Amino acid sequence: MKSNRWAYYWKTLSSSKLGLFGLSILFLFLIIALFAPLLAPFNPMERVGQPFGEPSSTFLLGTNDVGQDILSELIYGSRISLMIGVIAALISIVLGIIVGIVAGYYGGKVDNFLMRVVDLVLVVPFLPLMILLAAFIGPSFWNIILVISLISWASPARVIRSQVLNLKTKGYVEAAKSIGTKASTIMLKHIMPGVIPIALSQFVMAASSAILIEASLSFLGLGDPFVKSWGTILYYAQARGAFLTDAWLWWVLPPGLLITTLVIGFAFTGYSLEEIMNPRLRKER
Amino acid sequence: MLKFYGGKFLQYVIVIVLMLTLNFLLPRLMPGNPLVFLAGEDVGFMTSEEKNEILDKHGLNDSIPQQYISYVKNILTGDFGYSYQQKRPIVDLLKERMPWTLLLAGLGLVISTIIGVMFGALSAWRRGTSIDANLLTMFMFLSAMPSFWIGMILVSIFSAQLGLFPVFGAESGWSNLTGMDRLFDILRHLALPLTTLVLISVTNTFMIMRYSMLNVLGEDYIMMAKAKGVRDRVIKYKHAMRNALLPVATVFMLSLGFMLGGATVIETVFAYPGVGRLMFESVVSRDYPLIQATFLIITFSVVIANLLADILYPLLDPKVGGQREK
Repeated sequence: MKSNRWAYYWKTLSSSKLGLFGLSILFLFLIIALFAPLLAPFNPMERVGQPFGEPSSTFLLGTNDVGQDILSELIYGSRISLMIGVIAALISIVLGIIVGIVAGYYGGKVDNFLMRVVDLVLVVPFLPLMILLAAFIGPSFWNIILVISLISWASPARVIRSQVLNLKTKGYVEAAKSIGTKASTIMLKHIMPGVIPIALSQFVMAASSAILIEASLSFLGLGDPFVKSWGTILYYAQARGAFLTDAWLWWVLPPGLLITTLVIGFAFTGYSLEEIMNPRLRKER
Repeated sequence: MLKFYGGKFLQYVIVIVLMLTLNFLLPRLMPGNPLVFLAGEDVGFMTSEEKNEILDKHGLNDSIPQQYISYVKNILTGDFGYSYQQKRPIVDLLKERMPWTLLLAGLGLVISTIIGVMFGALSAWRRGTSIDANLLTMFMFLSAMPSFWIGMILVSIFSAQLGLFPVFGAESGWSNLTGMDRLFDILRHLALPLTTLVLISVTNTFMIMRYSMLNVLGEDYIMMAKAKGVRDRVIKYKHAMRNALLPVATVFMLSLGFMLGGATVIETVFAYPGVGRLMFESVVSRDYPLIQATFLIITFSVVIANLLADILYPLLDPKVGGQREK
């Protein structure tokens, strides 16, 4: 029964062109990130050429201001952007699931309180708040993840809560309640499986926005100085004025295109997952 | 209805209080010397008397509750402290920078709403056709692009390569332009940052308008109008679009928060002298009081925009107002 459901998801996902396209992009980036040491021609942290070098047969995308190979930076950068996006999204979804299930299941005052907290988080302008927090706790890989997930759990929590409200009225939940099953068991065993699919689509969406936020923070100089994401590459391109010279073609254009492609990969996968969860959407699109 | 406003108002008051508290606590809770956060990295070279003087000036020798009260009092009376990097009262800096941000974000909001509404309506009207599919794809790609990157690409093409627009700033400071010439100069500087802001924010309006219009087009009265033989143009503009606009109106004000956040990054690319750029400058120079002040002023603006949206909404939608009266 259970495997049937997943088989059905897979069938719907793979039957939508959007979903297949998105998944293949994600798969491609996963391969690049995993095999970065084999694919990259140089170590991205090593000075291997003249500074500000133009593209040549050795350095396909030229070199940056200190003579590091830009292509290798981009290939290794996929690891950082993917990792930050996925980990931050994972943390915010776990938080979102906990808050959503507790609020939806208990209802009443608990629900009221938690949803007010969600409203509060959603009112505050998230990028300035993240800049403030990142500036104070200092730039590092894990701090960036912390800052992104601290803010990004709120909207998944709301979506998951409404799903829980729906599940709560189902016969099997009522039955479990009536025979005196513990609340924690009901939430874990009976409600959790029902929210996993919707949490999955929320996770994919959260990852795509986390990647964009990471890029913005790194661009503002709040990224980890010891790891190089695509946002960091653009930060240096901006700081050294690369976009005012011909270097924009190989130093500015490629990192942005990679960010866009990865975000699109997550977004398309997310949209088609959402269509599976919500058959009404399928008709409307 | 009063209860509804009371609840909303209370919620915004709580947001403001929480953000003030966060701002108050951050420099005091972070590991390291809180003086660094208040007076800059130079404290390492200060004598203990100088340090004590600063501690006194900021009231750091008082008890924590006393400090908190005087902090809130200062902010509410418009005293945001002193920027040790720019050597000026922060309030003056904010006054200087705020108009530019409001100009950029305000115009961006209006233009992206108009464009989003037009294309959203068109897409829904032609639902299922290739026009609809192409518009959807285009707007989805737009929302996947990093805002600062769009800005950099626009500068590369239109300023650096083609020389059509200035590269940075809000106006040509050295020339003494007046009247129409100055206005034209300001608009020329505004063109690229504004385009960037519109490009990153238009997708949201487009999606909402398209969805709302699809719903309206499924209503009985549209069918009725069609059956009566009302012309398509009249149905589209008079019957469908007017009713579909309501959800767009609700997000109009709410988008201001997004706009101000986006402006932080975009102003940085174009060295546009707004509050967002000020926030970036303060991050670069680790000017902590200024980072906090810029964050607070952006948060205040967003809360005010939200409040306005809540007040205006029942005026726009008689159904909501009517229900709440009971």
